[in-house]
Amino acid sequence: MKLTGMKFGAPILKLADFPIPTILDADTKYENIEQLLDKRGKVVVKPVFSGGIGKKGKAGLVKIVSSVEEALDAKRTLYFATHTFHNEQIQANGVTFEEFIPSSYEIYFNLNVSTVTRRVNFTLTHHGGVDIEELEEGQIIERSFDPITGLKSYHIIDALAELKAPREIVSPLVQYLPRLWNLYNDYGFTTLEINPIRIEKSGNKYVPVACDFKAQFDQDNPQIRRLNIPAETFYTNLSNFEAEINQLRTYQGQSDVAVINPKGTITPFMFGGGANSAATEVLSQKATFSSDFGGNPPYEKMYNIAAIAFKYWLVQSNVLLVIGGKANNTDILVTFKGIFDALRDYTRKNGKPEIYVVVGRGGPNLIKGFAYASDLLNQLEIPYKFFGYDSSMLEVIQYAVDVDDFLTEKKRQS
Amino acid sequence: MKTGNKSKNSFPYKVQITSLKEVAPADAKVCVMNIMGNESRRVTPKSHEFSRGNVVAGVQYGRPGKMETAIGDIPVYSRVAEVMKHHEFDTGVVYLPPAAVFYAVTELCHYNKKLKKIVIVTEKLSVKDQRLIRAVCQASNIDVFGANSLGIADAWNQVRIGGALGGDHPEQALVKGSVAIHSNSGNFSNTIAEYLKTEGFGTTTVISSGKDVIIQFAVAEFLRAAQNDDRTKAVVLYVEPGGYYEKQALDWINEGRIKFDKPIIACVTGRWKSNLSRAVGHAGALAGDNDDAISKEKWFDAYFGMDAFNPEKPVVSARGVRVTSIQHIPQAMKYVFRKMKKKPDFKPAGDLSLKPWYGNDFGLQLPLELKIPIVEAVSPHKEEIAELKKLVGAMPVRQNMRNKSSVSRINESTNIAELYGRPIVDLIEYSYEELIVYTLLRKVPRSCDVPLVNFCLNYLSVPDEETYGLLKKVRENQATPNAEFAMVTSMLGNRSDFELSQKYMNLFLDFMVETNLRDYDDEIDISLFEKKIKALPGHGKQDKRFVSIFLELVNASPNPSNVLNAMTKIAGKLKVERPDVFIITAILFHFSLPELVLKKVTKQNVADLYTYLAIIAKLTASGNLKGMKLPLISELENFKNMSGSFSRSAFEYTFGYTPDKSELMEFNTLLALTLTNGAGTISAKGAKESVSARNHISMAYTGFLSNTGLAHGGSGFEAVEYLLESFQKHTKRANIQNLDEKSVKKLAVEAAVKYKVYKEDQKTKGVSSYKRIPCINHPVFKGKSVNIDPREDFIYKKFKADGIRNVFWDFYHDLVVALYENGVSSNVYCVNIDAVIAVISLKLMWKSIVSGKMPDEQMQRIGFIIFLLGRMVGVSAEIIDHRDRGLDMDCRTPVKELEYII
Repeated sequence: MKLTGMKFGAPILKLADFPIPTILDADTKYENIEQLLDKRGKVVVKPVFSGGIGKKGKAGLVKIVSSVEEALDAKRTLYFATHTFHNEQIQANGVTFEEFIPSSYEIYFNLNVSTVTRRVNFTLTHHGGVDIEELEEGQIIERSFDPITGLKSYHIIDALAELKAPREIVSPLVQYLPRLWNLYNDYGFTTLEINPIRIEKSGNKYVPVACDFKAQFDQDNPQIRRLNIPAETFYTNLSNFEAEINQLRTYQGQSDVAVINPKGTITPFMFGGGANSAATEVLSQKATFSSDFGGNPPYEKMYNIAAIAFKYWLVQSNVLLVIGGKANNTDILVTFKGIFDALRDYTRKNGKPEIYVVVGRGGPNLIKGFAYASDLLNQLEIPYKFFGYDSSMLEVIQYAVDVDDFLTEKKRQS
Repeated sequence: MKTGNKSKNSFPYKVQITSLKEVAPADAKVCVMNIMGNESRRVTPKSHEFSRGNVVAGVQYGRPGKMETAIGDIPVYSRVAEVMKHHEFDTGVVYLPPAAVFYAVTELCHYNKKLKKIVIVTEKLSVKDQRLIRAVCQASNIDVFGANSLGIADAWNQVRIGGALGGDHPEQALVKGSVAIHSNSGNFSNTIAEYLKTEGFGTTTVISSGKDVIIQFAVAEFLRAAQNDDRTKAVVLYVEPGGYYEKQALDWINEGRIKFDKPIIACVTGRWKSNLSRAVGHAGALAGDNDDAISKEKWFDAYFGMDAFNPEKPVVSARGVRVTSIQHIPQAMKYVFRKMKKKPDFKPAGDLSLKPWYGNDFGLQLPLELKIPIVEAVSPHKEEIAELKKLVGAMPVRQNMRNKSSVSRINESTNIAELYGRPIVDLIEYSYEELIVYTLLRKVPRSCDVPLVNFCLNYLSVPDEETYGLLKKVRENQATPNAEFAMVTSMLGNRSDFELSQKYMNLFLDFMVETNLRDYDDEIDISLFEKKIKALPGHGKQDKRFVSIFLELVNASPNPSNVLNAMTKIAGKLKVERPDVFIITAILFHFSLPELVLKKVTKQNVADLYTYLAIIAKLTASGNLKGMKLPLISELENFKNMSGSFSRSAFEYTFGYTPDKSELMEFNTLLALTLTNGAGTISAKGAKESVSARNHISMAYTGFLSNTGLAHGGSGFEAVEYLLESFQKHTKRANIQNLDEKSVKKLAVEAAVKYKVYKEDQKTKGVSSYKRIPCINHPVFKGKSVNIDPREDFIYKKFKADGIRNVFWDFYHDLVVALYENGVSSNVYCVNIDAVIAVISLKLMWKSIVSGKMPDEQMQRIGFIIFLLGRMVGVSAEIIDHRDRGLDMDCRTPVKELEYII
């Protein structure tokens, strides 16, 4: 669950009383933009993306303008701008007009879970605003701290001393950065990044102002709900199928799906993260979606998941694949009842699907599950093969691929 | 990357465990939090029993008590403080919901200062709680496994702690050996252990690490502990994307920070996850930057100094190798051991080749390489399968079956009725006898079995004087045909041969289970078979002619089952109460065997087959107006032509003469078309409601019959009347089917004009409920300029293609055009399916009409009987369905659906 940009970041930063520039949304009146221009001489125009999107500056998606006309021009250009990030092309939906904060200093600050220290680390440099990977050693510092006591001022002072940061920025950062820890700790963050924090001189005082915002949240932490962020804000391209399955996300059992190929011909139910990884790689573009339904889901959940999956994918599929290793506690009978009852009901409503069922599984109540499924498929006269855990899972998946190839060719010839 | 924390031991954090022997030791004492929760209730007893009793206590907040296990009860306390008063333990297991886990961990740490380990099974723990747990446990010198861990286990010590690692039979996966496993996937911890056995490797310690963002006991500490475990000769790592745990471990080995010189087989999966922007599967398996699968592969390849293992050209390094899939782990391990000049732990057990335990291609012609034969499963599953196979037949779950049917429906898009998924228009190609078997057993009989079907039906249809006498009386009272038939079924009750056949069929079913009879070609133990038959009481009279025909038919069949072959050996010397019933039952068992094996029919259904067949046969013969004088009856009584088509017999019973080929085909078409119109018809409902009241099968047919009548089933005569009126000029013409097209068209135009006049006259008089022309137009198939009823259209074209002409049908087609051309209708109406029944019925009756032997009431009667003959077969499926699945009184209408009106 990721967010970027000040449209979302500004109200969150306000919770921590962290200074932010004026942020105007796309529908703001011209007079408001003019006021910003009068105040600062410049306005920063940025596209609004859902999800966690980085490297917008590098991609030329941040425009600094000096007139209303330029601002509106930038709005037109950036409103539906597309950006490729992590192999995904995402489209913006809106812009923000942001107050330009003049500053000689740009600070980069990041709070993140480190799998090296298995604690929260903070990363800090006063050479911010750029790609921090390009900084040399000595220009950037990363430290971990006790999550129970939290990030304290002395952590910041010590880090800035080590960085030999300019004196004038020490006090404002020491005062304000720990507030970001409170935000991080109390609202379910796993990553919080501000780049840049610009240090604004106001009289004799220096104030750090957050000029960008990037966050990742822990979907398992209920504290996120305190932020009241609508779920769709996080997702770049969530399909209807994914959205429907996501609604079944509960404590017991996984129900994670990601559409792989909307034209896929194998509908796969994968159980366990291991099966998910292995099967998705082997099936590749043949799979309609990748899934993980492990964790011993109850009957109703499994039935509903299967019913939704069949609704979307079964008519185009050649193979229904149910794959997992030797389960430790997932009740095979319960999950199979869910899947195959849904198949039975799909058949009642839509007629018999032209599919071949391939199963590779092991675990508690395995034979009861196999017997239940085979009885049902016998009644429906749907062809099938069930493999136990003494067959290689990868070979079973490959078998499904081979059957799919055969049926695809058969359909093509007819 | 600086950490800023320095530690006195090898790690910049505390790790208490120095050897894998300490992970799940034999003397571990365990306390389980939320021991009575759903998951723990299933898993903890198994863990406790497998580990020979290592769970000393459990905690269930506010609900002390005990957990029963096969080796004694585990006491359950309300809180940890209470546990500490009575027990000592060094390991905690946490099964609580995510929000409670951190607090449970602090409770454990607070009250038990001797605690060494905590295993957190709970998944979906927040990252915040994970880091707090780590901080608290680091301060308390406690090692943590998880979260989202399926447990830790030691095959040498025979100990399992925490989750369900190894499932219900951990001893299968956890076989003593020399390989340690650290897996991000709980499922694969188990699967990898199973796979290793195929090359003769067992395990020492297996750790399911979980794959949350924070892994508490990660690769570095695992490898250090494996190094110090003299039992462990090699390790397997199953790795998913996300996190730097592996890099950290490998770097520390290379730096000398931790000593590790045993080989590693590393399996890295999840390349495709680099395309995702959100987690699918494990929460922690979402790479950020540079910790995706490809990066991890590079880390390991650099460590091993070589590319991934190639099973075709197996090469490994002294340090081990990376594999691309878990199925290569055993082979890679074999080569690693060879390189170490060490032997596997035991003889290889099994292999990972494809071995399907269940399968059915249903005639799909797969290529040879995909046609893998079904094999016997491994124990104990093969024994489980054998037990289940003893349960023959389908076992549907009973439910309220009011307004429900699992056998028939009206297809919403085509509006055509379907029986067992097949549209009735498809069924017109089958004979009446084939349709009967289809309805009773969900499959059409093999063509080589049809003579046997006819034999049974013809034999069972032979009427008796008494019944015909009663029927005559009933007709004299002007009862309608359904009432005649209802008398017959009501009289049948649960006749003695029905009960006997059930008893005989149960013998066959028991024999099937006992001898594992599954296929027509399975050998029959004749002596056992005979022994069972000998146990049946009675010694009835054998009709040698009956036996002789049976033997003849079986011997003539190109592919009889071994059951029938066995019957031929004993048919002549059967000593049972009713040898004829026994032989018929054997034939029916032969038909049912494949469906029983496939569990498409229930045992009850099969046991009742004789009853259904007998009733259908009896009713078919009941429409006969010629009584015992019908030549067919004399034939059958003398066992002549017993295997002749039952369709033909049905025709003769109904029309009183022998049909030609074309007439028989048209008759079969009528019967197929009337089979069903869904379970919502009042005739079907009548049958279902009778079953719901728990009546005998014969009474269920009575229920069906009493719900037919002149408005339902008997209304076809209206159309026949109309046609007779339209063809009035030609009613003396025997060869009406030779009437030329022009003349037929002329008749149609005349009829259209006549109707126009009538309609206008009625409208002028203000009569809106004037008569409609029967069999044209349809509530669904309308609105276009030219409308077609697809059911009628299909059959019309088929008959044309088969060269079968029906002038009445052609008349109807010309009529709808004429109505349009004469301005009676605004578009061309369809000729609907009822017309098919009317035109065929009239064609079949025409001969008798012309000869004056068919008064009007008889025409109406025949139409009704044809409907009953077809529909009673279709309704048989509804009766079977409701008997199999329904509940007593389920057809009652709830009070809230009733309305009281004045």
